Amino acid sequence: MDIQLKRGLLDVCVLAAIKNEDSYGYKIIKDMKPYIELSESTLYTILKRLEIANMLTVRTVEHGGRLRKYYRITDRGIKRIEEFKNEWKEIMSIYRFVTKEDEE
Amino acid sequence: MTKLNFILALNDKLSDLPKQEVEERLNFYAEMIEDRIEDGLSEEEAVAAVGTVDEIAKHIIKDIPLTKIAIEKIKTKRRLKTWEIVLLIAGAPLWIPLTIAFFAVILALYVSLWSIIISLWAVFASVVSCALSGIVAGAGIVFTPNKMAGIALLGIGIVCAGLSILLFLGCKAATDGVVILTKKIVFFIKNRLTKKEEA
Repeated sequence: MDIQLKRGLLDVCVLAAIKNEDSYGYKIIKDMKPYIELSESTLYTILKRLEIANMLTVRTVEHGGRLRKYYRITDRGIKRIEEFKNEWKEIMSIYRFVTKEDEE
Repeated sequence: MTKLNFILALNDKLSDLPKQEVEERLNFYAEMIEDRIEDGLSEEEAVAAVGTVDEIAKHIIKDIPLTKIAIEKIKTKRRLKTWEIVLLIAGAPLWIPLTIAFFAVILALYVSLWSIIISLWAVFASVVSCALSGIVAGAGIVFTPNKMAGIALLGIGIVCAGLSILLFLGCKAATDGVVILTKKIVFFIKNRLTKKEEA
């Protein structure tokens, strides 16, 4: 898959993983696993990028005698998901046009 | 491998990178391993699931911008001994121009590489304009008494059009090649900067 496209998709996937409740690194990977495989290193890069873009905030919470970072989506992050949905409607209609002949 | 060994090994590989950046990443991997253990994996399995130290170190080096690595490298350089300073100053008339010349040559080579690419595209652009003007002008006069000239012009235009397609493929391949080469060079420099110096 095209690298730029994949990067954009993964960003939205991670945002979706923290959309309903705050989450932490390992849980994000686990939640995404049925849909898309993500390595720790890639996840770190994405989380950092989303933090810099103000699409999520980070807080450190004590958990069982150690620290764990929780990620929370911001309004901007939610907006990004909505934008993605709209963009994708367009892409899906293009897809239907492209594959039209295959079905006939 | 235990979690501690893993973190120590990774830290060792990244010792020349910005401290804060490395610490943050090490904490991230430690948290990942601990969460896996909590999830029921053994320590050994949890470490293995995160990936090998080499793979992760490579990913991190690619991830951190070259400028940041270079700055860190200069900052953490050890203090110089007196005789080294004396030598540095005494040798300045020699090594400063040499260093400048060295980097100038590299820069010149790189700039000329891109100049070749730019001139290739310029040739492409001129062939395309030849094709267009040949076809337009040829079509314009082919139905006048100057029929032969019109056909000749049309022919030239069509040949140029064909040529431009080949040229486009060539230009694109050359541009892609230079971009890939640039990425490789940057990664090579990063790797050199982060390699531990032999003591």
